[in-house]
Amino acid sequence: MTRATLTGHRTASAAVLVVGGGAVAAAVWIGGDHGFAVALVAFYVLVAALVYAWSGGQGDIAAIMRVGGDERQRGLDRDANAITGYVVSFAAITGVIVQTARGEGPGGYGVMCVVAGVSYVVSLTALRLRR
Amino acid sequence: MKNRVRELRAGDGISQGDLAAALGVSRQTINSIENERYQPSLPLAIAIARYFGGTVEEIFTIDDQETVR
Repeated sequence: MTRATLTGHRTASAAVLVVGGGAVAAAVWIGGDHGFAVALVAFYVLVAALVYAWSGGQGDIAAIMRVGGDERQRGLDRDANAITGYVVSFAAITGVIVQTARGEGPGGYGVMCVVAGVSYVVSLTALRLRR
Repeated sequence: MKNRVRELRAGDGISQGDLAAALGVSRQTINSIENERYQPSLPLAIAIARYFGGTVEEIFTIDDQETVR
């Protein structure tokens, strides 16, 4: 059992958006499209502000956004992450198959498959040591 | 898994929010437990039982048909 509801860090998700969005914007800036980079910064700041405002609420999503939910809310987040992992892995495998059928190399899809496979094995090994 | 949380809470005349605050969980989690959509962890089940002055077995019951996986 965990204590929660209004605990956690309200800035957690907003900070991830600002840092992640800032990194993407910086890459776009370095790539030469300065106008789009500025627009991205504005977009991510706006979204981060909305997320910050939402994360102060009482609902399940708000609790998950501030990384402070109770056991059920954290379970929802964990399951959603697991499903997302399955979907992304399936998309990567599909990408490899399609690329191969087109006579091309697996490219980024192959990298994603390797990362997913290694991540699963490492995670499973580490989790088994704890349980 | 069935439970008597709603019945006991109503008997005490408290709201889901009150029970949630006492147990340190969200009101939505209490609602999910009462509607048997969510099975609480053992520590939370014990906390619920202690709150109502009973035992886990008095509040949470498992059907004979159900199997423990």
